[in-house]
Amino acid sequence: MDIKITEELDNTLKDNGFKKEEIQELIANAEASGTKLKARDGDIAIAKGVSDNLTVYAVYSPTELLDVYAHKMNIIGLTGGELNDIDYDDASEWACAKCGEIALERNVDMTYMGVTRPGPGLVCPKCDEFYVSDGVAKTLKTAESILEEKRA
Amino acid sequence: MGDQIMPAKDYAPIDQNWLEDAGNLWTTPWVDKPSERVIVDPIILSHAASLFRKNAGYFYQNPDEAIRMVCHACELYDVTPVGHYLYADYWGQDYGAEIKIQTNSPPGITKRPIKTAEDVDNFEVLDVDELTKGPTLTTHYKALDTCKEEFPHMFAPITQLGGTMEVATNWAAIEDVFMWMITEPELVDKLCVKAGDHMVNACKATSERYGANVMITGSVIASGDLMDTEQIKRFSFQPVSRAVRKVLNSGAGPGVYYHLCGNHTDDFQMWKNAPMSPFTIVQIGYDGQNIFPTSKLVEHFGDRCTCFGTVDTKLVDRGTPAQVYEQAKEQVLAGKDSPRGFILGTACECPTNAPPVNVHALVKAAKDHGKYEKF
Repeated sequence: MDIKITEELDNTLKDNGFKKEEIQELIANAEASGTKLKARDGDIAIAKGVSDNLTVYAVYSPTELLDVYAHKMNIIGLTGGELNDIDYDDASEWACAKCGEIALERNVDMTYMGVTRPGPGLVCPKCDEFYVSDGVAKTLKTAESILEEKRA
Repeated sequence: MGDQIMPAKDYAPIDQNWLEDAGNLWTTPWVDKPSERVIVDPIILSHAASLFRKNAGYFYQNPDEAIRMVCHACELYDVTPVGHYLYADYWGQDYGAEIKIQTNSPPGITKRPIKTAEDVDNFEVLDVDELTKGPTLTTHYKALDTCKEEFPHMFAPITQLGGTMEVATNWAAIEDVFMWMITEPELVDKLCVKAGDHMVNACKATSERYGANVMITGSVIASGDLMDTEQIKRFSFQPVSRAVRKVLNSGAGPGVYYHLCGNHTDDFQMWKNAPMSPFTIVQIGYDGQNIFPTSKLVEHFGDRCTCFGTVDTKLVDRGTPAQVYEQAKEQVLAGKDSPRGFILGTACECPTNAPPVNVHALVKAAKDHGKYEKF
């Protein structure tokens, strides 16, 4: 898959410590495995790469990388442990590319610096895969900064 | 002295050792950093004015002084070191409501902008910039800016929202909204969607100004004393959850404070699945006519978020210190080692003229019985 990366986004990648090759590999893995989210309305996808201390997301169209974001908090599972029925519409704008299920907006437990707390995730109800949106990643960045300051 | 202005120079300096210790106690429920005991948050607002022989009207007309009084009251009582300024009837004025300053209670809306069903349809939510320049946030930010400048370690970028029903009833008379719930529920749906959009914009405004935001939301009017469970779900839980999701998805967090005031016996369970951030707190006022037991709060929310155990506000206002102490003791013993943190406080705002000895009794119970065992 030949993904174009604009000069502007390339500079953003460098500024945030991401390597272009790593992002391309992350997308290639998602394409090969099908482990990604697809927009329910359109052809945008989100791939993710999880390491011990960072989860990186790439948002891309069939031709172009659109955004890259990351969080340090490690998602460990659903808050409360089970996918119970809830009393509001939790269907997100995304679907799991692997199984086709609509990704649900649910709380997921995240751990960082020994602290476990909930956060708003995107959950595939079948594949047990967890993602977060770019906006939530911003919220998590603030939370991570507070944890780093207070837990230091 | 009653109406004389008290500028910053008239206050004694805050004890920095106290501030450091209180800051450590305050940090524990959020980040699990060990400290000695549970912190107390009696939600001090205009009660602080009474300590300075001022009244509620004075407090709310002078937001910079209000913050000074609250911060010094926090030191006096040895409670959560956070400067608060807010009242329930926010967001009406921005849309044309008239507000009345009252001597002995918070400001109250007298004329609301929405009077008819047509008004609901035509009602347009203000954008972030318009809200920032509006009367509610201009006053609110005056208080927060004073806190940030004069008490930087007691600053929190709080946005007072209430839930969708609280915003809706600041725009339209409560009797009209309750009538429409029966005769034209779709109209109340529309109103609550608009209230939710307004909440999102207000949070974005605070986040843009201060780089972070702590939203106070929840369900106050939408409690079991006034609405049935289906109504609470439809007009409060669902639109509030959508709004909180939008706020967090727009990066305007990370603080979420669910203030479930009033009786929530029949609806509290649904809030377990409300959207949460890593800094989420849940406070539930009453279980029927009784204070909501902290044991029940921790059982249902303790493995999810920080729990805020409560002491009956009526007791703090009209009870004896011994009664306050006993209830606070029971609540703090049940909550202190809640897995994701615990705060002891009051069911709602500390009453303006509550006897200071009762607030002291609340704090004393936490000092005597709130020592952590989990660390």
